[in-house]
Amino acid sequence: MELKIEGVSKTYANGVRALKDVTLTIPAGMYGLLGPNGAGKSTLMRILATLQEPDAGSIRLGEIDVVNQKDEVRRTLGYLPQEFGVYPKVSAEELLGHFALLKGIGQRRGRREVVEALLRQTNLWEVRKQKLGGYSGGMKQRFGVAVALLGNPKLLIVDEPTAGLDPAERVRFLNLLSELGENSAVILSTHIVEDVSELCTQMAIIDRGEILLEAEPLGAIEEMRGRIWRSVIEKAALAEVERAHAVISTKLLAGRTVVHVHGEAAPGPGFEPAEPDLEDVYFSTMAGHIGRRRAQAEAVA
Amino acid sequence: MKLLGIFRFELAYQLRRLSTWLPFAALAVAAFLFVRGAYLADALYADFFINSPFVIASVTVFCSLFWLVAAAGVTGEIAARDVETGMHPLTCTSPVSKTEYLGGRFLAAFALNALILLAVPLGVLLAVHAPGLDAEVVGPFRPAAYLTAYGFLALPNAFVGTAIQFAVAALGRRAIGSYLGSVLLLSVAYGGMIAVMYFLQRQDVAALLDVFGHIYITSDLVLGWTPIEKSTRLIELRGVLLRSRLLWTGAGAATLAFTWVRFRFAHHTAVPLWSRVTRRRGAHAPTPAGSDAARPPVHVPRVPRTFGPALYARQTLATAWTSFLAIAKSRAGLVVLAVIAALTVVLLPQNLYNMGTPLLPTTAYVLTFLTTPLTDPMTPWVVIPLLIVLWAGELVWREREHGLGEITDAAPVPEWVLFGGKFLGLALVLAAWMALLTLAGLLIQLRLGYGDHQPGLFLKVLFGLQLPEYLLFALLALVVQGLVNQKYVGHFVALVAFALIAFAPRLGIRHNLLVYGASPGWSYSDMRGFGASLGPWAWFKLYWAAWALLLAVAARLLWMRGMESGLRTRLRLARGRFTRSTAGIAAGAAGLVLTLGGFIFYNTNVLNRYTSASGRMERSAAYERRYGRYANLPQPSLTGTSLRVELHPRRRAVEIRGTYQLVNRGSAAIDSIHVATVTGVRTGAITFDRPARRVVQDDELGHRIYALARPLQPGDSLRLGFQVFVAPRGFRNRGVTAAVVANGTWFMSGDVLPAIGYQRRRELLKPGERRAHGLAPRPLFPSVADAQDVTGEEGGGGGAERGSVEAVIGTDADQVAIAPGVLRRTWTEGGRRYFHYATDTPIGNEYAFFSAKYAVHRERRGGVPLEVYYHPGHTANLDRIVHGARACLDFYGREYGPYPHGYLRIVENPVRRMGAHADVATIDYGQGFALFNPENDLRGLDFPFAIVAHEMAHEWGVPYAYAEGAPLITESFAWYAAMGVVEESFGREHLQRLRRFFRQPYPIVPIRQSVPLLRAMDPYAAYRKGPFALYALSEYMGRERVDLAFRRLYDAHRSGAPPLATSLDLYRELQAVTPDSLRYLLHDLLEANTFWDLKTERATAKQTAVGTWQVTLRLRARKVTVDPAGKETEVPMSEWIPIGVFAPTREQGADFGETLYLRMHRIRSGPQTITVTVPKKPSDAGIDPYVVLIDLERFDNVEKVKIER
Repeated sequence: MELKIEGVSKTYANGVRALKDVTLTIPAGMYGLLGPNGAGKSTLMRILATLQEPDAGSIRLGEIDVVNQKDEVRRTLGYLPQEFGVYPKVSAEELLGHFALLKGIGQRRGRREVVEALLRQTNLWEVRKQKLGGYSGGMKQRFGVAVALLGNPKLLIVDEPTAGLDPAERVRFLNLLSELGENSAVILSTHIVEDVSELCTQMAIIDRGEILLEAEPLGAIEEMRGRIWRSVIEKAALAEVERAHAVISTKLLAGRTVVHVHGEAAPGPGFEPAEPDLEDVYFSTMAGHIGRRRAQAEAVA
Repeated sequence: MKLLGIFRFELAYQLRRLSTWLPFAALAVAAFLFVRGAYLADALYADFFINSPFVIASVTVFCSLFWLVAAAGVTGEIAARDVETGMHPLTCTSPVSKTEYLGGRFLAAFALNALILLAVPLGVLLAVHAPGLDAEVVGPFRPAAYLTAYGFLALPNAFVGTAIQFAVAALGRRAIGSYLGSVLLLSVAYGGMIAVMYFLQRQDVAALLDVFGHIYITSDLVLGWTPIEKSTRLIELRGVLLRSRLLWTGAGAATLAFTWVRFRFAHHTAVPLWSRVTRRRGAHAPTPAGSDAARPPVHVPRVPRTFGPALYARQTLATAWTSFLAIAKSRAGLVVLAVIAALTVVLLPQNLYNMGTPLLPTTAYVLTFLTTPLTDPMTPWVVIPLLIVLWAGELVWREREHGLGEITDAAPVPEWVLFGGKFLGLALVLAAWMALLTLAGLLIQLRLGYGDHQPGLFLKVLFGLQLPEYLLFALLALVVQGLVNQKYVGHFVALVAFALIAFAPRLGIRHNLLVYGASPGWSYSDMRGFGASLGPWAWFKLYWAAWALLLAVAARLLWMRGMESGLRTRLRLARGRFTRSTAGIAAGAAGLVLTLGGFIFYNTNVLNRYTSASGRMERSAAYERRYGRYANLPQPSLTGTSLRVELHPRRRAVEIRGTYQLVNRGSAAIDSIHVATVTGVRTGAITFDRPARRVVQDDELGHRIYALARPLQPGDSLRLGFQVFVAPRGFRNRGVTAAVVANGTWFMSGDVLPAIGYQRRRELLKPGERRAHGLAPRPLFPSVADAQDVTGEEGGGGGAERGSVEAVIGTDADQVAIAPGVLRRTWTEGGRRYFHYATDTPIGNEYAFFSAKYAVHRERRGGVPLEVYYHPGHTANLDRIVHGARACLDFYGREYGPYPHGYLRIVENPVRRMGAHADVATIDYGQGFALFNPENDLRGLDFPFAIVAHEMAHEWGVPYAYAEGAPLITESFAWYAAMGVVEESFGREHLQRLRRFFRQPYPIVPIRQSVPLLRAMDPYAAYRKGPFALYALSEYMGRERVDLAFRRLYDAHRSGAPPLATSLDLYRELQAVTPDSLRYLLHDLLEANTFWDLKTERATAKQTAVGTWQVTLRLRARKVTVDPAGKETEVPMSEWIPIGVFAPTREQGADFGETLYLRMHRIRSGPQTITVTVPKKPSDAGIDPYVVLIDLERFDNVEKVKIER
C-alpha cells in the first residue's frame, strides 16, 4: 500500500510553521525521514498517526483518506511514538494483551498467540511476567515495537526510535525494524543518519517543515561520488577553510579537524576525494548544494 | 538568601497562572452568593446586619471549606511540580539545602493561599455594597470585622490546610496528593468531631478539635449570640476559638516538621515497598544472548479481527476492569474506602442514640445514616463526591500521564469505548463502595447484637437508590474532565459543579428539573414501606439519566484524542465524529429529556401548583393585604362539627362532607361569614341553613365571603355545610404529598377542613420579609401584657376555642381509622370499614385523623378506657407506653384533678421521628419510638417513659393564650409534671438521671442572654430552664404547693373561655402559694433571668479524735441576671442553699454514694468556707450537689474530698 502525502501544511497556535506544503510518496518498505531536531518530523508522523490535524493538504493510504477516515487508518496502523511510557506495575504480557484487544483482536486465544509471537520476536518472552517498571530503555523500546506490530499493520510509523539506546541495543533494534520492512510500509523518522543508511530503501530529508530531498539512499550516495572532498586541518585553520570552500561538515578526529567540502572539482591542495556516504548527502542537502534548497536558490538567481 | 529567591520565583510563577486566579474568582463568587443567598434571609429574619462580624466570620468559615478542596491544586503544584515534570534531577543537584527548598516552596504556597482567601472578604464586600440590597440590613462598614475574620479564621485555616496538602503532595511526589490531603483532612476532622460530639457528648472537646472553626460558628455563635450580638460583636481570639486555633496551627507546624524529616532531596526510584523487602529479582534482566541476525524474519500470526459491537463491548469491559483496578489499587482507592467503611462501623453506633437513649439498629434506620442525596453536602458522605472528582481525573488522564496516550489514541478504538469503559470502571468502584457499606451495615447490626437482618433491603436501597445518585455525578465528573482537558482545571470545574448542585437550594434554585441529578427524596419506613415515594424519584432520575446520556454524547464528540487541544479543531473533529448512530443516540437522549422533562413539568407545575419560597411569601402577603382588614371582624364561634370522612388509602384520596354549627357569641349581629379554605384541597360549594349569597370566592388565596340575607343575631346559631376532596394529582417537585397513603394515613383537620374567619397564622412573620412585601411590622408573639386579648387562634389545640366533633370515618376493610372522640360504633359496608366517633368533652379545632393496619391494646385504668394503636411489629416499647400512661393517670389524677376526658387514646403515627405530640385525649408518637432501646441505656434511664409522662401532662394542660411566656405553662409544666411521675415510679435516683441528661448542653444548647421565663419563647427556656425552675420551687417549698398553683390555674381556665391563661396567671397562682421567705426565689427564677454560679473550690477532710470526719469546703458563690444583650448584673446573695457530703459511689451511673450530710446553709456572694462533721469517711462534697438552682457550670458544684492527715 502506498502512502501519498500532498501539500500538507501545519502551523501551530504559537505561529510556528511545522510543515510547509509537504508532498511525499511513500512506497512499501523501509522509508527514512531524516532531519534535525525540530524539523517537523514528529508533527508529520503524528499527522500520519491520526493524532494531529493538518491545516491543508491530503493524505491517502491506498484508498483511505487519512485525515477523514481515522478509524480505517487506525485499523491498519502501527505507531511507536518518540516518547512513550508504560504502566509500571503491569507486566509486559498483560499490557500487550490489553493493547491487542484495543487493536481489535477480540478472541482470547488469538490474543494469546499474537502476544506470545510478538514477545518472542522482540526477545521479551523470558521477561514477560516482569513488571514494566523494571524494564531497561531498550527493552521498553522493543516492547513498544511489539505494541506497534499488533494487528499486522500495513503502515508502521516509528518516530525517533533509537534515541537513547546504547549501541548494542540500537543494533538489535534496527535489526528488528529491518525485518518489518518486508511486510509493510515502515516510516522511520530519525535525526541519526546511520539509522537511515543502514535500513532504508527510500528516504526524505526534512528541515524547517520542508522536504529538501526525496531519494534512494544508495542512488543519492552514488550521485555524490566525486563531489565530496576531505581534508584534515588544524582547528585554527577552520575559519580560513570555511571562507574559501563550501564546507558541509566538520568532524574531530584525534584532536584535529576533518572537513568535508562539496565541490564539482577538487578544491585544491590538501584536499583528497572522499568516499561519499549518506551523511555527505544529508549535509549537502542541508547546506543547499543539492535538493530543494539548491533548486530554490537557482530559481531566485 | 536562597529561600527568599525560591519563594519569590515560585510566587511570581504562580501569580501568572490561571490555576491561582480561578479559585480566587470562585471563592469571591462563593462568598458573594453565601452572603446574598444564605445569610440575607437569616439577617432579614433575625434582624441583624448582613455585614456584621458574625456573618463575615460565618462566610469565612464556609468558604474556607470550599477553598480547601477547590484550591488544593495550587499547593500540590508547588510541592510536586519538579518531580512531575521530571525536573527534579536538576533541582536536587543544585546547591540548595532541603530547608531552603521546602521552606521557600511552602512559604510560597502559604502566601498564595492566603492571597486566594482574600477573595472571601472581597466577595463579602461586593455582596454588601453592590446594588440590590435592602438598606436596612446593611450596617456601618467596619474594617475590624473583615480583619478579625481573615486573621483569626482564614489565615490559620490556610496554614493548616496548606501544611497538610503540602506534606501529602511533597512526600507522595504527586501533585494530586494535595487534593487527597484536603479530602483526608476534611473527613478526619469531621469524622473526629462527630465522634467526639456523639460519643463523648462533649461539645466543648469537639469545638477544640474543630479544624476550621465550623463548630465555633454553627453552635457557639449561631445559637449563643443574640441578634444584637450577631449584629455588633466582633469575634475574639480567646477561649475555645483560641485553643482550637493554637492546636491546629501546632498540628500544621508538626506536619511541616514531619515533611522536612521525611522528604528526601534526592533522585527517587519508584520501588514498591514490598520489593525493597523481597529481593529485586531480575529488575534489569540482561538481554538474552544469542545472535539476532540468526532469527527468522518477523512473523506475527494472522488472527481474525472483526470490528463491531461484540469487539467494542469486550474493549469496553476490559477498559472498565483495568480502570477499576487502577483506582482500586491506588492510594485513594479501596484502602481509603475500606478505612471509611471501618470508621463507619466504629462511629455509626455512636449516632444510634436519641436523647441519650440507645436505638435499635434496624436496617431501615441504619440505612438513613448510610444514604444521602447528592444535593445534601452536610454529611460526612460529602467525601464520596470529592473522591469521585479525584478518580474521574485520574481515569481520564491515566493513559496520558503514563505516556501511553499516543499509542492508545492511535488504536482503532471508538471514543465511546474509552469513555464508556472509564465510566463503567468508576461505576464498579462505586458498586464496590456500596458493597462495603452493606457489609458495614450488617457488621454494625452484628456488633450491637441486633438479629433481624434484612440484607435484601440493604442491597435494594444502596444499589437501587444510592448508587444511581453517585453514578449520575460520576458521569458528570468524567465528562467535565474529558471536556476541560486540563486536569486541575477539570478538578476545579467538577468541584464547582458539585458545589452548585449541593448549594443550589440556597442559591434559590429549587426546582429539581434545574439541578443536575436532583430529585425528590425517597422514604422508607416499617409502616409505609417506600409508599409512593419511589415513583417521582425514579421519574426525576430517569430524566437526569437522559441528560447524562446527552453529556456522554458530548464527551464522545469532544473527547481529547491526539494532540489537538485547540477548541476549533476539537469542534471540527467533533463534526467528523457525529455519525449517524451518534446523532441517533443524541436525538434519542434529547427526546427523552424533553418527554421526561415535559412529563415531570406537567406533574409538578401543571397538575400541581409549583410555588417557590418567594411565591409562597407573596401569597401570604397578598392574603394579608387583601383580607387582613377582616382580622377583627366578629365571626361566629365553631361549637359543633359533624363529618363524614371517606378515606381511600390505595387511591391516596379522601373525601369529607361536613357541617359546622356556628354560634354568635358576641354582642353584635353578624351579617357575613368568612370561610378560609385550604389551598391544594378542592373545597366544593359551601351551604348555609339560611339564605346566603356568595360575595367572594378566592380559591387562589383561600378565602370566601358569604353575605347572610338575615344577620346572625347574638346567641343565634347557624349551620354551614361543606365538602372537601383531596386526591393526588401526579406528583410535586418535592415528591408525593403523603397525607393519605396505602398504610399509615395521618393528617390534621387544618390540612383539609375549612376554617372560619381571617387566618392570622397565614401572615408573614419575619420582620424583614414583612418589610420586603410592604407590610406593617407585627410582633413575632404578642407580649404577655397584651395576651388578655389573644383568642388563642394560633395556638391550635392548646389555646383555641373548643367545640364538639362527631365523625363517621370509612377506610379499607383491613385498616383501623381514627378520628377524635369515643368510638360509638363500627361496621362494614360495601367492603369498607366504618367507625363512628363522637367527642364527649369539647376539643379544639386542630385534631388528627389516622388510618392504618393497627394492632390495638385496650385496658381501663381508674375508670378511663386506655387504647394504644400501634404498628403490629412495633411492640418493643408498648409496655413502657402503657406503664407511663397508667402511672400518669394515677399521679396527675391525684395532683391536678381527675383525668379530664372520657377516654385516652395513644396512636403511633407514620412519621419516622421519635417525637410525640398531645391533643385532647389523644397522644400520637412517631414510628421512631419503636427504635428506643432503653434496655441498653448505660445511664439506666427510661426515657420513653418520661416522654409519655410529658405528653400525658399536656392532657391536664390549661387552654392558653399564644403569647410570650406560653411555653412556661405548657412545655415547662409538662416536663416538671413528668419529673414528678418519674420520681414516683422509679425513685429519686432515676429522677436525678433524667435531670442530669437535661443539664447536658446537647441537643438543646443553653442560652444565657435572654428574657425572664415569664416572657421567654426559646427551646432552652421551654424544655430545660423552665422545668428546672419549677422543680427548684418544688424542692424549696414542696411539690404540693407548686402543684396546687397549677391545679388552681387549670380550674380557673379549663373552660377555654377568654381570657385564656398566660404565664402571668401562673405567676399569680405561684405567688399565692409561696411563703414570704421564698418570694425572692420565685422572683429570681421566673421574673428575672437569673443564673447562679456556685463553685466548690476545694474540699478537705480530717478525721477527728472521736472517729468522725470534719469536712471543710472552700466555696465561691455568685448570682447574676443576664439581659438579652448579654449584659450581666450581679445580685447580692444571702440565701439558703444545700451543702452535701457523700460517701464513695457504689452503684454504676449514680452521682454519689450514701448521703452523709445534706443540709441548707445560708450562702452569701463571694468566697466563703463551711465546715461540717460527718460520721463516715467522705468522698465527694459540695454546694447544691444536685444542681437544683440554674447553674450552667455543671461540673464544679461538687469536688472530690481531699483527706488530710
